[in-house]
Amino acid sequence: MDEAALHARLAASGVPGIGALDRSVKDPFVVVEPTSIVPALTWLRDDPACRLEMLHNLTAVERPEAIEVVYHVCSLAHHHALVLKVRCPRPEGGTHETWLPEVPSVAGVHPAANWHEREQWDLLGVRFTGHPDLRRILLPEEWIGHPLRKDYVYPTEHGGIPLELDAVPLYERDPASPPPPSGRVRKAGEPLFQPPAPFSSRPLASGGRTVEPGEAPAGGDGAGAGGGEH
Amino acid sequence: MEALELYAVDDSREVYTEELKLNLGPQHPSTHGVLRVELKMDGEIITGARADIGYLHRCAEKIGENVSYLQFTPYTDRMDYLAACNNELAWSLTVEKLLGVEAPERAQWLRVIVCELNRIASHLIAFGTYGIDMGANTPFFYAFRERELILALLERPSGQRMLYNYVRPGGVAHDIDETWLDDVLRFCDHFEKMWAEYNTLLTHNRIFIGRTANIGVLPKEVAIAFGVTGPSLRASGVRWDLRRDVPYLWPYGELEFDVPVGEGTHGTLGDCWDRYWVRMREMMESIRIIRQACRRVPSGDFMDKNLIKIYKSPIKPGPGEAYLRTENPRGELGFYIVAAGGTSPLRCRARGPSFCNLSVLETLLPGCMIADGVAIIGSLDIVLGEVDR
Amino acid sequence: MESLIGLFEKLLGDLGHADLAGTALPLAGAYAVCIGTLLGFITVYAMFAIWMERKVAAHMQIRYGPMETGGWHGWAQSVADALKLLFKEDIIPSGANKVMFWIAPAIVFCGVFAGFVAIPFAMGVQIADVNLGLFFIIAIASVEVVGVIMAGWASNSKYSLFGAVREAAQVVSYEVPAAVALLVPVLVVGSLRLGDFNAWQEQHGWLILHNPFAPVAALIYFIASLAGCKRAPFDLPEAESELVSGFHTEYSGMRFSFFFLEEYASMFVSSALVSTLFLGGWTLPFVNVSHMPPPVGAVVLLVKIFAMIFVQMWLRWTLPRLRVDQVMSMGYKYLLPWAFAAVVGTAIFETLGWRWLPL
Repeated sequence: MDEAALHARLAASGVPGIGALDRSVKDPFVVVEPTSIVPALTWLRDDPACRLEMLHNLTAVERPEAIEVVYHVCSLAHHHALVLKVRCPRPEGGTHETWLPEVPSVAGVHPAANWHEREQWDLLGVRFTGHPDLRRILLPEEWIGHPLRKDYVYPTEHGGIPLELDAVPLYERDPASPPPPSGRVRKAGEPLFQPPAPFSSRPLASGGRTVEPGEAPAGGDGAGAGGGEH
Repeated sequence: MEALELYAVDDSREVYTEELKLNLGPQHPSTHGVLRVELKMDGEIITGARADIGYLHRCAEKIGENVSYLQFTPYTDRMDYLAACNNELAWSLTVEKLLGVEAPERAQWLRVIVCELNRIASHLIAFGTYGIDMGANTPFFYAFRERELILALLERPSGQRMLYNYVRPGGVAHDIDETWLDDVLRFCDHFEKMWAEYNTLLTHNRIFIGRTANIGVLPKEVAIAFGVTGPSLRASGVRWDLRRDVPYLWPYGELEFDVPVGEGTHGTLGDCWDRYWVRMREMMESIRIIRQACRRVPSGDFMDKNLIKIYKSPIKPGPGEAYLRTENPRGELGFYIVAAGGTSPLRCRARGPSFCNLSVLETLLPGCMIADGVAIIGSLDIVLGEVDR
Repeated sequence: MESLIGLFEKLLGDLGHADLAGTALPLAGAYAVCIGTLLGFITVYAMFAIWMERKVAAHMQIRYGPMETGGWHGWAQSVADALKLLFKEDIIPSGANKVMFWIAPAIVFCGVFAGFVAIPFAMGVQIADVNLGLFFIIAIASVEVVGVIMAGWASNSKYSLFGAVREAAQVVSYEVPAAVALLVPVLVVGSLRLGDFNAWQEQHGWLILHNPFAPVAALIYFIASLAGCKRAPFDLPEAESELVSGFHTEYSGMRFSFFFLEEYASMFVSSALVSTLFLGGWTLPFVNVSHMPPPVGAVVLLVKIFAMIFVQMWLRWTLPRLRVDQVMSMGYKYLLPWAFAAVVGTAIFETLGWRWLPL
């Protein structure tokens, strides 16, 4: 069955809160109310014609206006798949520290979601209610903050080790005096690192010339430079 | 909510003898990377297990939001570093799906050959290291002898022995030289003889069978519920292979190959020996695929011409999203890219097969002995780079 | 040994102290020479055996092994390793019981070392010609179990504890089929003195061919001694892939080298027992070795011992490891009944005076 037929069956199933099928992207998706994601996934798993028994992926995506939790379910019995989404709109001034949206956990329906939800809680701060064991999975337990958020501010030190680019190295620090706070805090939206400067065109010992990206080498066609580095 | 009972630890015995808490890892010869498993043990029997991952977390997904689509290809290499081309293939196909382009035919066939060679190399490591886990140190060297041949073959088109950066969105990075296909075919002939040697060394060894049969039985329903894919799922009896069922590269639809499935030959269906044997047979199926593909590589472009022009500056797919899954040696790797019109994705999520395969460890370990625990972890064939990304 | 005492007494007499002839001084002197020689021999042998293990392992793994140190196939590699171990820092874990930590390697090594004194290397060349030679060797070799358990406990580490407990279970269990299997040659020869085995085999040929049960007993003793030496496929106590290093995880430097030496020394002792009891010892089938100078007999015995050691190494690098419950079940459910059957069969053979080969 294709996504339209699956969506039609789901909409007719009696589970409330099923939205329309959004076909604007390559993988059409269904937006579902947060409260009905668990019954929807349960119904999709158990219905003999759908049999979407494997939760392949559970992702949270932070957009400017909302955080979406995306569920990719697929079926091994029938070779089809469906994408469901739960949208949590961002409240006014909701930042990575103040706003942790809540979504019901589907770990009871698909045990695979257990670790996926832990990872999205860890990295994006989406709280899954009803999860048996919601704690950090990739980052250390004592980490503060949810790094994959767009407005996440990198810490300046962790466990006494400075994390800034211009910090004093450990072996040069005086144990008596702690390092002064450098005051250089990465602002939200600031790029992670300086993009590398373009190579300046200079002659090589062999007589040739290095090539700037975007420049065709002398005598080569587009196919040759296609393998060049960006 | 019967699924939740899978996490319960059996503390219901009347006589409460002292339980030992043991840490397996993170520095340990047998955990296939930096993995920590907290074990609660009663003598030699494991009564509870908790996997603690994140020691190899390198923030790939955050980096993906800050670099361009082509710049992220080497990062995908480093997720499952033993099967690098397969990761690059998943990423490239997802980007191509976003852009709406398709790689030229020659590139597709070259991708098939390179990815299947990588599959053999990855399964050879699984075979060798599984022997070491069991105490047989010798088969590892035999496996690596063949892996050296594969790495030398793959070094010729890509320039790299292990982390290739070869399969890129739009095609492959470089063309192959004239004799490469003949050398690949010669390697296939050589490998078949060596495969028979591996079976005499380890597969039919009574001690090895005694250590792996009936251990770590993964029932079909549990595997599907936990999202286990790849050889671990096929060993439990599920005949599901993305290359055959949802061909993500159209050459796979034209090639003839079988999908090996576990049969419970020496014990229960879905035990460690079945997972090991499925991998061994998959190596031979990959040889079959490579042989057929080598004869069908057409001449032509190895990289899409439009993309070459676009690569002068970073590609900017329009707003949209795409999810694509491919069959990696360890399972199904899925990339979910959300593009918002810039040069980097808004969200780039990698669904690693080892991540889901590992989550089933907490169900498999309780009840067995620590030696079996090592056997089970080895049979799941995880790579921590993919678990932690 | 007696000849050495006589030598010392003669030396004392030459030096003008004949009155000291009957005292303990010549005895002490003789002992000092014997033990010094033996220690030197064991050290050199252990270095050679470690080099041999690395070369055997390498060639079975399609590689070369040590090739650089010393020039020809890296013969000086073991010497270099021994020097390195001597210079290493002596690390004792913080919570370890220092006294037991210190004593454990000594006990382990002494237990095995003491077994060397009863092995006959040639006609009359034996440090201690004990009447109960065989019994003595089996008994004294089990002292090492105490040392291993002490090492595991004193290390204050759960991994070491695991290794020690597994080792205790395994070694003690496998001594039973080993001892029962060794009753077969005792029944045939009728004595526990190791020199008698050699003498008997000089007359009647190799004991392993005497009796259909003797090969069974030899095989059972060989397998049981593999378990006693903690060699693969029974190397759970030091299972590298499970317990990092088992009971000697926390040992480093010279202390670790004691455990290492002990492993190779006990390989030597068990191979010596197999060679002496079943394969003829220092005798050869058609050659009258007892009338030749002693080094010939010693060389014959050493060749046989190294052949058995090679087989042990071959097995180690070929076979995977058995799990602890499989080890126990193999020892008690398979080796022990077969050993008993072999003993009963040999008893019947000997009583009825049957022969099965024209020897």
